[in-house]
Amino acid sequence: MIETGIPKLDEFLGGGIPKGKSLVYYIQPGVEGEIFGLQTIYNSLKKGGMGVFVVSSTIPDIIKGQFREFGWDINQFKDKFFFVDAYNSLIGAPSNEKYVVMNPDSIEAFSKIIMNALKELPPSTIVFGSLSTIIDLCGEKETINAVRAWNKTAKLYDHVLVYNFTAWPYSEETLKAIKDDMFNAVISVGGIAERVIFGQYFGIFKADWTKEIKKSMLFRVLRPGGIRLYIPKILVTGPFDSGKSTFVHALSTRAISVDRLGTTIALDHGHIDYKGFSADIFGTPGQERFDPIIKLLSGESMGVFLIVDSTNPTDFIRAKQMLEITKSYGLPYVIIANKQDLSGALAPEEIRNQFNLPPDIPIVPVVAKDKKGIFEAFEVLIDKITGGL
Amino acid sequence: MTDTIEKIDKVLTDLKKAGGVEACAAVSRDGLLIRSSLQKEHFAESFAAMSATMLGAAETASIELGKGVPNRVIVESSEGRLIAVGAGHKALLVVIVNQETGLGLILHELEKAALNLKELLE
Repeated sequence: MIETGIPKLDEFLGGGIPKGKSLVYYIQPGVEGEIFGLQTIYNSLKKGGMGVFVVSSTIPDIIKGQFREFGWDINQFKDKFFFVDAYNSLIGAPSNEKYVVMNPDSIEAFSKIIMNALKELPPSTIVFGSLSTIIDLCGEKETINAVRAWNKTAKLYDHVLVYNFTAWPYSEETLKAIKDDMFNAVISVGGIAERVIFGQYFGIFKADWTKEIKKSMLFRVLRPGGIRLYIPKILVTGPFDSGKSTFVHALSTRAISVDRLGTTIALDHGHIDYKGFSADIFGTPGQERFDPIIKLLSGESMGVFLIVDSTNPTDFIRAKQMLEITKSYGLPYVIIANKQDLSGALAPEEIRNQFNLPPDIPIVPVVAKDKKGIFEAFEVLIDKITGGL
Repeated sequence: MTDTIEKIDKVLTDLKKAGGVEACAAVSRDGLLIRSSLQKEHFAESFAAMSATMLGAAETASIELGKGVPNRVIVESSEGRLIAVGAGHKALLVVIVNQETGLGLILHELEKAALNLKELLE
């Protein structure tokens, strides 16, 4: 089993890609998809595996530069990482890579080198930087037949084959073969424009070694950093003086607030980068006179933290009302039982009773000013947003 | 989808070409950044959230006072101006301009851009 290192994807795949299997990243044109192959090979090298990267759309040095851009040092894997250079000879340049395809526009020449590598290397992760380029050079039918043969051979030698494929308008037949029957797994990577959220997502279209999980995740690409799952908006709301701003600031990598006399009058805005997730956090004011602003800011949230002052049960009614104002019912939400360090603070289960909350709503004990419990709370909410996997 | 993004980017680049515009952004009414001309995305995100709050608060105040929907919000300081206009019910457009720039030209360009953005998102 090799891990892709892409957050949540390994979990969705039941741990990663088993030896002998093939996987294709099926990428919509215009989406930053090539990073998927890069991150997969980097991660499997990092875990001590062998890796081969097949370059067909640019020179190997550019790919090395891309690894550097993401902050990934590949020089440390000197004896474990090779390129198959199928580009330099196209432009008539010499190559110093271990494997060189002299005529990359002939599938026979290409196949010969790949088969050689498959047969002589110990079990490795082999990533094809651009299957689409190979198709463009060698033809659709020819390439498909060759890929089928590579996948079969890889299975015998326990290699993992990973392809980046950009879904240009090839023939129906080709696209169908790639999506439906050539590979053990297909991960679709695409773009969405839903209302005002413009983003990129990936999801499992098929994986024959695990039960299918039909769930898509938004992502963004950080340089350095690589793929992060992206949550455009998490709302932090709750009654006056429950500690919302403190919570936003404690959780965020960076944050700003609009406040006067110690109370938020417009909003808190923070950004968090944590365990492969990147999220923007919107904190609302708590006082009733700001309700119009709360309504304004709460649209398009993907999840909610409802902050309550554990020492102040009279506020719980207002807290529930705020869930209504922010239209948060139906969204994943987590109750933050703040100020647990004060005497008279109710325990989470006491709050559940007073609140009449259903048993499946998580209540996390927190001391926001000391950053106690906040990351646990973040993980609980993220689990709810991503489907609790 | 990439198509819409390209078109939004074009609206922003065209707007940026108007003299004196330092930065501009398309923002959703609920404070999410759609696209911006700012290099650093994390500045843009906070800027987007703040601008949406400002325009939203101004609209609420103006409507409550019986003065209808305001045409725009202009924030003036000694360093320059920040102007936010609505672009349909889904989005707004914000620009930061330097102090030397004439308001008339900018407002004209901004209206035009807001109309284009509105049509793109409808």
